[in-house]
Amino acid sequence: MESTVSSEAEEYLEEIYRQEKKTGFAKTMELARQLKVVPGSVTNTIEGLERRGLVIHEPYRGIKLTEKGRKIALNVLRKHRLAERLLTDILHLNWSEAHDAACKLEHAIAPDIIKPLEKTLGHPKTCPHGNPIPTKGGGIIEEKSELLTDLKPGEGGIIVKITEERRDMLQYLASLGLMPGTSIEIEEKAPFNGPIMVKARGASYALGHDVASVIWVKKP
Amino acid sequence: MSCHKAFKEIKEKTNLTIALAGNPNVGKSCVFNQLTGLSVVTANYPGKTVEINMGVTTHDGLKIGIIDLPGTYAISAVSDDQWVARRGVLEEQPDVVVVVVDASNLQRNLYIVLQFLELGFPVIVALNLVDYAAKIGLKIDHEKLSKILGVPVVPTVAVRGEGIDELIHAVVDLTQGKLKMERPKITYGRDVETAIETLTEDINETFQEKPYNLPARALAIQLLEGDAEFIDIIRKGQQPQRQKRHRWRGRRPNGDKILQLSAELSREIENRHGEPVGIRIARERHGLTGTIADAVQTKLEQPPLLSEKLKHYTVAPYTGIPLMVLALLGVFALIFYVGGLLSQLVDGFWGSFVSPSIGGLIFSLIRNETLARVILWGVDAGILAWLSVGVPYILTFYIVLSLLEDSGYLNSIAFLMDNIMHKLGLHGRAIIPILTGAGCNVPAIMGTRVLTTKRERILASTLIVLVPCSARTAVILGAVAYLIGWKYAILIYIIEVGLIGLVGWGLHRLLPGESSGLVMEMFPLRRPSVLATIKKTWNRFKDFAFVAFPIVIIGSLGVGALFETGYLWAIVNPMSPLVQGFLGLPAVAGICLILGILRKELTLQLLVALAIVQYGSSASNLLIFMTPLQLFVFALVVTIYIPCVATVAVLGKELGWRNALFIMAFTIILALVIGGIAYRVGPYLGL
Repeated sequence: MESTVSSEAEEYLEEIYRQEKKTGFAKTMELARQLKVVPGSVTNTIEGLERRGLVIHEPYRGIKLTEKGRKIALNVLRKHRLAERLLTDILHLNWSEAHDAACKLEHAIAPDIIKPLEKTLGHPKTCPHGNPIPTKGGGIIEEKSELLTDLKPGEGGIIVKITEERRDMLQYLASLGLMPGTSIEIEEKAPFNGPIMVKARGASYALGHDVASVIWVKKP
Repeated sequence: MSCHKAFKEIKEKTNLTIALAGNPNVGKSCVFNQLTGLSVVTANYPGKTVEINMGVTTHDGLKIGIIDLPGTYAISAVSDDQWVARRGVLEEQPDVVVVVVDASNLQRNLYIVLQFLELGFPVIVALNLVDYAAKIGLKIDHEKLSKILGVPVVPTVAVRGEGIDELIHAVVDLTQGKLKMERPKITYGRDVETAIETLTEDINETFQEKPYNLPARALAIQLLEGDAEFIDIIRKGQQPQRQKRHRWRGRRPNGDKILQLSAELSREIENRHGEPVGIRIARERHGLTGTIADAVQTKLEQPPLLSEKLKHYTVAPYTGIPLMVLALLGVFALIFYVGGLLSQLVDGFWGSFVSPSIGGLIFSLIRNETLARVILWGVDAGILAWLSVGVPYILTFYIVLSLLEDSGYLNSIAFLMDNIMHKLGLHGRAIIPILTGAGCNVPAIMGTRVLTTKRERILASTLIVLVPCSARTAVILGAVAYLIGWKYAILIYIIEVGLIGLVGWGLHRLLPGESSGLVMEMFPLRRPSVLATIKKTWNRFKDFAFVAFPIVIIGSLGVGALFETGYLWAIVNPMSPLVQGFLGLPAVAGICLILGILRKELTLQLLVALAIVQYGSSASNLLIFMTPLQLFVFALVVTIYIPCVATVAVLGKELGWRNALFIMAFTIILALVIGGIAYRVGPYLGL
């Protein structure tokens, strides 16, 4: 099934997919910021998308894609990342310029152009920035990760994402060096869902259960 | 005192000022204590609980003011302590920032050093804990570190005072221009650097004077990091509050354009790297500190230290929980018994030596007998109330708290208790002050300073007020356990624990704001230093001593005046429907309750005294005067209602009078409701 939505809706779905992956939910304000529109028009468009069964808006939490919406989003993302490849590999644009240009180009790539495009580019697996390109069927190899709270003492891994929405908390954790890419090891777990003691960058920290349960790690 | 005023005073009376900064628990206060005497001034910003300590030292005839900033991992504005540390240096503009660094964890400790360098402050690094670093096999080439950072680096062992003279020497040399050092520029990755440069240019064009005289580059980084405070300053295009007086020369700069540009640049970087610029910059700083640390330190493999193993036992559930129970019981027993013993000594000494001579003196000086009696309430009963609570309990508690904090064991307890305290909207750290409340509420409320937000402090203080202190325990034991059976005394404690749980649970839901997630460093266990313990205890005790004293005396005088002039009856009579009708107590109990505000154990003593007045000496057995149910309700009400005057004084000082009044009103209502229920349910419980 190919997408039959407007290019505006495509942009929205793609951005919702990105934010959902990062923080679990997409937010109206953040969508407005990224898509450079006013929050009011985001609300309108989201309502429209919701009526068509592409997204679910949970009050006070945020916006999530439905299975149908996710398929379209991945398809757009596939075109976006292929377009980026085209712009950098064939047209020799800068990586930094490629992203914005690809945002416009992606909507103009008709389904029948994708195949020859892929072939010309040599069936790339990732975009120039290193993110995976979804396959035709909408499959994407996403990194497998586990919640820090699911690990046992002695186990460890590398932080892949922190699905925390409060900027202050993220920045605070970052100042300690607790950020994606940092390797972290569980030293001790307090009983009954208590805090978790971790070792990272040579120091020990106690993280409350609520903090630890937004940190995703990839075991080696 | 407000920070602004304190800064001004210290600037006026010193030749130069230095600010001490650094991560928590790196020995920063040790350095501070080594440099300063006992005369330490504590100041805070309105609405913030984090304090700044200030002191003065002399070196080579120079008077040097020292500002001890709160220990933080970074200086952004993402938490209260960071906000205070940053505002402190920005406002005070010290001549040198001495960053105390933990040599055993250089990588993370250098992060804040980079931030200070970025802000353009003259920096000296005190490489502290070099002895501990050596113990775990770390050797640091401090000269190389100095060269890389372009700032003087002085190795210190602050606990023993080693390197402190060299440090102050370096400060003086640096400010007098004797040390010329080339400062290498800290550069970020290309993307971030381009954004910073673009923004710096724009800021330089728009702003002739920079807020807080910061370099444009520092401002650019703050804006890219999304720092709310600086964004606000730029948006308003005006100087921060304190500098408002000197207006912008010429036209008001238009900050909106800069903010737009900064948002645009941030978005670009975010899209490219898949993470916010703030995180990106933090990542690059960590990368940089990691490279620097690797370049200057050599690590030898060492077997794990005993303290490391010990720390493990304190947090592992099977050993940690029994250890914690023992430790908490120990703390409780120490405060209860040692405090109680000292309190008795003070009481005894006062009663047999001081009180009679004060009485004699006042009656010989003041002819008016009523007035003399009123004054006696203030200077005799009042000072005694202050002494017998203040000195024994508060001093003992502060020594214990300081030892727990400095050894690092407090964090182990916090780790184990976090889960339970979380249900009440608090952190694990709150357990210590709450337990202390069972000795005396006053130091317990002051002890809530270990909590970080105002919300947590209000929550914890309200709960502490409900913890029966030793004086209330005396009433429960004397009136209930002794006269009607220990089972009912235990029932009162069960009711109290239930109330604390319920109130905590309810307040947690009612108070605006949410409980902040726990992120706490677990320090290696260390032996606390005697000097640090004494100074810390004294600095904290001083606060109570001077703040509570006048309030306790005035409160005592007020109650005394009411009693001696007979106006007390005028208050008691309208109260009688409540006391007699609702609580089912004899009307005179109302007087006891009012006078009990002075000291809770007075309620029982007065009750006995009033009973004797009414029924003769046989009434010293209160059961002739009151039924078991009445005694039970009385003890229950005494335990819950309005805290004693010393506690009220501290509540007002620590949380502000509005919150203190709220807690007072709340406990009175709670006591009446619970007492009223007990009076009606009691008969079914065999009372």
